[in-house]
Amino acid sequence: MSTASLPAAARHPAAGRLSALRVPPSVALSLAILALVLAWSLAPGLFTAYDPTRGIPAHKLMGPSAAHWFGTDHLGRDLYARIVHGTASSVTSALLAVGIGVLAGGLIGLVAGFLGGLVDTLLARLVDVLLAIPRFLLAIIIVTALGFDTVNTAIATGISAVAVFARVMRAEVTKTRQATFVEAAFLQGGSRWHVLWRHVLPNASRSVLALAVLQVGLSILVIAGLAFLGYGDPPPASDWGLLIATGKDYLKWPWLVYAPALVTVASVLSLNRISRWLRRTD
Amino acid sequence: MRHPYLVYAGRRLAQAVVVILLTYVFTFVVVSILPGDPVTNVLRDPQNGFSEEQIQAIVAAQGLDQPLLVQLWTALTHFLSGDFGLSMRSSRPVATLIAEVLPSTLALASAGLAVALGLAFAIAYGTQFLPGRLGSGLRALPSLFLSVPNFVIGLVLIHAFGFQLGLFRVIEPESAWATAFAAIALGIPISAQIAEVLIANLDHEARQDYAAVARSRGLSPARLFARHLLKPSSLPVVTVIALTVGELLGGSLVTEAVFGRNGVGSLVQRSAAAQDLPVLQAVVALAALIFVLVNLAADLVYPLLDPRITLAGPAARRPGKADEAPHDAPLRTVTG
Repeated sequence: MSTASLPAAARHPAAGRLSALRVPPSVALSLAILALVLAWSLAPGLFTAYDPTRGIPAHKLMGPSAAHWFGTDHLGRDLYARIVHGTASSVTSALLAVGIGVLAGGLIGLVAGFLGGLVDTLLARLVDVLLAIPRFLLAIIIVTALGFDTVNTAIATGISAVAVFARVMRAEVTKTRQATFVEAAFLQGGSRWHVLWRHVLPNASRSVLALAVLQVGLSILVIAGLAFLGYGDPPPASDWGLLIATGKDYLKWPWLVYAPALVTVASVLSLNRISRWLRRTD
Repeated sequence: MRHPYLVYAGRRLAQAVVVILLTYVFTFVVVSILPGDPVTNVLRDPQNGFSEEQIQAIVAAQGLDQPLLVQLWTALTHFLSGDFGLSMRSSRPVATLIAEVLPSTLALASAGLAVALGLAFAIAYGTQFLPGRLGSGLRALPSLFLSVPNFVIGLVLIHAFGFQLGLFRVIEPESAWATAFAAIALGIPISAQIAEVLIANLDHEARQDYAAVARSRGLSPARLFARHLLKPSSLPVVTVIALTVGELLGGSLVTEAVFGRNGVGSLVQRSAAAQDLPVLQAVVALAALIFVLVNLAADLVYPLLDPRITLAGPAARRPGKADEAPHDAPLRTVTG
């Protein structure tokens, strides 16, 4: 693929720069989709003139058209506007969840891998426990104990992701810990903190970053699942999962399910593609 | 009696017991530490209409007035003797409540696993034999399957086959057709994980010398696949299947809600809505028990299935999953 595009790239400077970064077209498309989703969550007002909460009863359950791209719902609200305005909540929840997973899981993995010995064994059992509970069930238990709202579903999703991050971080740290250059850094008189900060963390960051991107997508799915079961904010919030849950009661008007589902799938697919790309290129 | 397999099995068994016990303690601690007091929330809810004496009686019966460590000890000893306590919502034994709904969920989960396996092997077979774009298109399928929420797959199936084609009626969720489609919805995301490992392993085996030798002998691709590649490629799938058990159980919770089935998922939902923690805790313990036992079984069976595994030293680890297998190794050289 890249060899075939080389002569063309020489003619078009922009394309040349793109191929110099070695960004495959599917990754570029994924980045574009995510940029759009991010823009929706930052400034939803720029993308739609409709109010996501106020509907026109006479216009209820209209099919997709030029005026209403994704149709309207049972209260006559524009579905596209509801999706665009619900993006911020879905995206920030997923980011919050992954943030919790990276920080808590990363710390556990780092300590376990770097210190080793008894600490490692104890933390390994804790991770085993977290892995033994089905992720979705664990999230439900935690959100039940915390109370039902969207922030709590994000926290619960984050806690349920801790084990995965801990395992990957521990594996990376253990691998780097045995490398010759780490030994050399210690021999040169580097302190533990210096070696950790300068050598171990940068080497682990690549895998953890790829995992984090993948987990943003997974978290979107888990949070949508929790919202679907009604553990998030109630309507008129318009998280993607909640929109699908509302749509399931109106399956005769299938765009109410398909439109938010399409947006969810496109976002998660893009994140998976980028994560795969991050893992592959060196 | 220091046979390496027995040493390995013993260590693995002890580890499983420890994890099951720790899981119970962990859930207990999570439920107790997190804010939100089920006693005040549930028992003092005016809708339930308990008098103060009744509340005191329930609190005393559940042992909720004891210190936390005493509660944990009581709960743990009862759990070990198979007594999961009483539901706070209905005052019925938790074990009975779970026993009522477990068969439905187990049926769905095993049907889902069957769908996942069939689909995964079909996809993997296709990637090896379908020419050109079709084959590489199949390689993208697992990634797509992993990006669709499983409740959306369920809704699409209900819309297409229930509403449009009339194959099953939504008001009869336990009918054969409805169960089959629920199993498909549950199985599709799980098939993706199995297929990814299977494809990576097949690619790896197809690059080995023995495969080249077989090809040079004039073995057709189909026979090469069936006789030589399939067995070493699918052995590691045993461990992957064991790892997906958690997702099978977790996925059933959502799938049951979509298809309106009365299983563990709906019990969890009712209990979560009522903050009925004894039930939730028992379900978590049970799910963890199933997960740990299945993985224990997989780990114990694996060295017996695969003679290449040696149990001496650190080799007694889990055989490689997808992330260790080369994911994007160069295309195999096609001969013949």
